Order: sequence, then C-alpha cells, then structure tokens
Amino acid sequence: MSESPIDDRRLDQLVDLIVQLAAGNLEARLEPSPARDSVDAVITGINLLADELDTMYRTLEHRVAERTAQLDQAKRELERLALYDPLTGLANRTLLGDRMGQATARAERGACPPCVVLLDLDEFKTINDGLGHTAGDLILVQVARRLSDVVRDTDTVARLGGDEFAILLPETSEDQALRIAQRALVQLQEPFDVGDRTVCTGASIGVCFGTRGQPADLLLRDADTAMYAAKAAGKATVQLFRPEMHHAARARLQVASELGAAIDEGQLCLEYQPIVDLRSGSAIAAEALVRWQHPTRGLLHPAEFIAVAEDNGHIAELGHWVLREAIGQLGRWQADLPAAGFQVHVNLSPVEVRWPGLADFVAEVLREHDVPAPRLVLEISETGLMTGDISGLETLIALRDLGVGIAIDDFGTGYSSISYLRRLPIDTVKVDQSLIADIAADGAQVRFVGAILHLIEAAGLRAVVEGIESLNQLDRLAGLGCQYGQGYFLGRPVRPKELARSLAGSAFRVRP
Amino acid sequence: MPVESDPSAYESLTIDDEGIIRLVWPNGVRITGQSARSAFDAVNRLSADTRRPMLVDMATTQSVARDARAVFGEPSAASRIALLGRSPVDRVIANFTLGVSQVPCPTRFFTDREKALAFLREGLG
Repeated sequence: MSESPIDDRRLDQLVDLIVQLAAGNLEARLEPSPARDSVDAVITGINLLADELDTMYRTLEHRVAERTAQLDQAKRELERLALYDPLTGLANRTLLGDRMGQATARAERGACPPCVVLLDLDEFKTINDGLGHTAGDLILVQVARRLSDVVRDTDTVARLGGDEFAILLPETSEDQALRIAQRALVQLQEPFDVGDRTVCTGASIGVCFGTRGQPADLLLRDADTAMYAAKAAGKATVQLFRPEMHHAARARLQVASELGAAIDEGQLCLEYQPIVDLRSGSAIAAEALVRWQHPTRGLLHPAEFIAVAEDNGHIAELGHWVLREAIGQLGRWQADLPAAGFQVHVNLSPVEVRWPGLADFVAEVLREHDVPAPRLVLEISETGLMTGDISGLETLIALRDLGVGIAIDDFGTGYSSISYLRRLPIDTVKVDQSLIADIAADGAQVRFVGAILHLIEAAGLRAVVEGIESLNQLDRLAGLGCQYGQGYFLGRPVRPKELARSLAGSAFRVRP
Repeated sequence: MPVESDPSAYESLTIDDEGIIRLVWPNGVRITGQSARSAFDAVNRLSADTRRPMLVDMATTQSVARDARAVFGEPSAASRIALLGRSPVDRVIANFTLGVSQVPCPTRFFTDREKALAFLREGLG
C-alpha cells in the first residue's frame, strides 16, 4: 500500500479530530480534501457522526434543563402548599413553627427572644354561618392583607386555621409589639366589604413575650391563653400574657367538659329579673337568666360559661333547655300572674337565631305548656343581628308571625341605627346600661339618652332601659319620660318562687 | 449562475422527456435546511400534482446539514429517488441522508448514471 505525504497529513488531522471529539469538543470538524477519496469519506462520516452527537447532546441538555426547571417549579409549588395557607397566601402553622424555632434558637445565642401575637376574629362563626363560607373567605383574605400591612418586613404573619391568625415578631420590644397588636386591633375593627354589603367583626388578641429557653410551642400556647383572656374580657381587646391566665384557661377547659353533663343532670336553673313599668311601679315582664349550680364551684353566672358553650357547640342544647324551662315556668305561672300581659324574656344567642327549626320548636313548646305566644319575648343582641344574616331574619319573622315578641338587647353597643331597627321584625329595644352609667352626673348624656328614647318611641318601638342601679339614674330616666326599666335598683334576678311572691306582694322599688 | 450568488442553491431543475425530474446540485455545494426546503418546494411546483421519479445529481456535495436531511424525509412529488454521486464521500453523505431520515419513497445511491436511471424507470411502470 502506497502512502502519499498528503494522505499521512489527513490521517494525522483525523486522529486530532477524534481526540478533540473524545475530549468533549463536539463542534470540532475536519474539512475533507478535494480528493474526495476514502480518507475524505471517513472524515465526512466522522463529521456527520459528530453532528449527530452534538445535536443529540444539545437536545439532551435542553431537556435536562427543561426537566430541572419543571422539578424546581414543582418543588417550589410543593413547598408553597406545605408551608403557606392556600386561601390567604400567609405562612401556615408549619412555617410559623419553623420561624419560631429559628427565633428561639437565635435567642439561645443571645438575641432578644421573640414575641407572638395571636388573633382570633370575634363573631366570625356567626358571619360564616350566616353569610356563607364564600363571604367568610373574603373576610379572611382581607384580614390577611390588613395584618400584613401592620407588620414589619422581619415579622411573619400566619394563619393557623379557621379564623385564627398569629404574628411572630422576632427581637421586638414590648412597646413595639403592643403597638403592632393595637394597630391590628384597630385595622380589624374597620368594616369588611363582602359583595355589596359591609360586615363588622373585630378580634381578640393575645400577646406573649418569649423567654430564653422557652420552647416555641409553649410560647404559642401562652399567646393562645392570652387571646382567650382577651375574649373573656369582652372581646376586641389586647391582653398581654400573665402566668395566672393558665388558671382561667384550665377552668375554661373544665367548663367545656362539664357543661354537657350539667344540662343532663339538672344543674342549670333560671333566675328571673323583673322589667318594671316606671310609672306604676309594677313588673310587666321578667327576663330569664340562666345559672349553673356547679357541684363544687357554687353558683356560676352566664359570663362564666356562655362563651365556652358558644365555642364548643353546647349553645344550642343550652338554649333549648332555657326556652323549655322558661316557657314551662310561664305555663306554671299562668294562674298566678298579676296581669294578663305579663311576659317572660329569654335571651337567644346568634347561633340559635340561625337554627332553621327554631320557630317550630318555640311553637311546639308554647303549645305543650298552653302558653299564648305574646307572653314570650325573645331577646337577641344588637351585634348578633349586625351580620345581616338572612336566615336569622327569616327565623325572626317566623317567630313574630307566631305572635312572639322580639327585643333587641344591648342597644348602643353596636353600630346599628334606629332606621335599621325599624326594618327588623322587632317590637322592643333594650337600651344598654353603658349609656346610662354616667347619666346622674352628666347632663349631656341625659340629653343624649333622652334623644335615643324619643327616637325609639318615634319608631313605634317600646324602650326598656337596662342597668338601673341607683335612685339618681331612675330619677333622671323618669324625668325623660322613660317608661320601662330593669336593673338591680328595681329588682335583682331571683328564683321563680321569690319572683312570684314579689309580684303578688307589692310594687317594685320605683319610689324610695 | 445560482452557485455564485448562493452557494447552497440548486443548479438546475428540469423534467426530461421520460418524465423524470432531474435535480442538479452545483459542485462543492453545502446543502442547508433552507436550500433543501427551496429545492423541495421547487420540485413540488414543477411536478404539479403528478408524482414522478427523480434523479438527484449530488456529486461533489460538500455537506448536508442535519435540518436539510429532515426536509428530505418529508413526502414530496418524487415517487422514487436515485441519488447520483461519484466518490466515497458522496456515498457516505447519501447514506447518512438515507439512514438518518425516514425517506418517504424508495431511495437509493448510485455511482452509475445508467443504473440510476434504470432504477427510476422501474417506477414509471
């Protein structure tokens, strides 16, 4: 076989080409010579194979990059699902726990321990049940936005579930934390837009400052305890955690666990507080007030167990018991009552008002005890009606159609106007005691209450002023022409027998 | 000359008396995807709706780009194709085209023009 110099050179170049390709330079090529002989054919073949390899390699690299991007995206999405609340986009409990863990670890190394603010919306269940979950969700999203607006970049706002939110404030002074909590409180008291209506809620807020060495879950638990203390303190308040709050929390848990049995075992009873005609001094009605004769803790007032009953679902059972008992008492009293028009008032929780079978239940119990419907007045709080709940309104109309009286309780504590009340199926307005607390010393307040009484009268409704505790208050109200009142000065809540004796005996204390 | 203005354009495209399409690539052509597409469209236009055998003179072709080979894999007016070359380089290029693309009609490489024409005439029926 003859070897020309040009053949040798091409073979050497071919070897170089293969070495380059083997080294990963897939763009290396060798130009075939004009001879186009077998050596050039090999060169061309290798060029073409390199082309194929390069293309395949690029395609593969592109696919790998594409798949990697998809995996990254999926990972981010999974992370989002695992760590963020899908409705509000806020951190969820898991992420909050992580961040609390980091903050407490930093505190271990000398940083200032974190603070946790825990928020629970007031009356959210009422809104959710009344206006539907879509409306509830709209409010939760707005709550998330408002909370995010009151915190700093370093803080974490989380939704723990339902209507419960938390804010983690790392390395924060007490002043700063309370300022943020207060701003959140104010923000959440602003009305929320839900479709074409506005709804008011509010939040009970617990604040807890961590201590060095305190585990994150205990910090959250203590903030929760403070939040419950805020609820117990009348809602829409901020409470700073104090260790003694645990006692109240334990008592609440105990109440929750004992209440069901208390209803079944007859530990509940009713006391009746008279509602008095201030002109004649005679009682025209009595408000039934539930008491719990606790086997170890003594007589408990509603403030100590109603909120717990609302939280844990016992409220319907409790409400039914009260209605049955009060209507039964009315039945037993019928023969002895001083006036044919004497009524018994029973409080309804917003939860009960939304119960679709309520009107039928009341009608059945009235029939059972042979009590005329107008002898019963059902009281619902002003804030309970403020959710604009359609099903609740339908129930009230059905009750009114039965002939049952409907009263708005605690008027003056919410934001409803007289013109709004006129549209409701009610006949009585009970003016909240807070409006007359200073009436004896404050002339302006006298005029204000007088205007309210006139407006209620002008709307064709009966006004009953609550919380009359002194002769001065009574005199002022009498001077304003107020016709009906209720309060310790006129008569404390008493057992049925005692009330019957009072009714039969003499007029109530209208004059000293 | 097309080869001077565009080194990737085909040199001539005709239909002979027998009804065989004759496509000639110029000496030293580097067939790109674009020039393959241009030739492919011209063949379809020339043959109108009739499918015909085609002789492709590709001797001295310098290279055929990968995307050009993909064009040759598409169905066209050609009912069978004879690739005519001279050198081992032509053979490698032709067989790469045949091997890598899924050719849509019977296609073979020849170095002998008469044998190529005989193969195409079989297709004339």
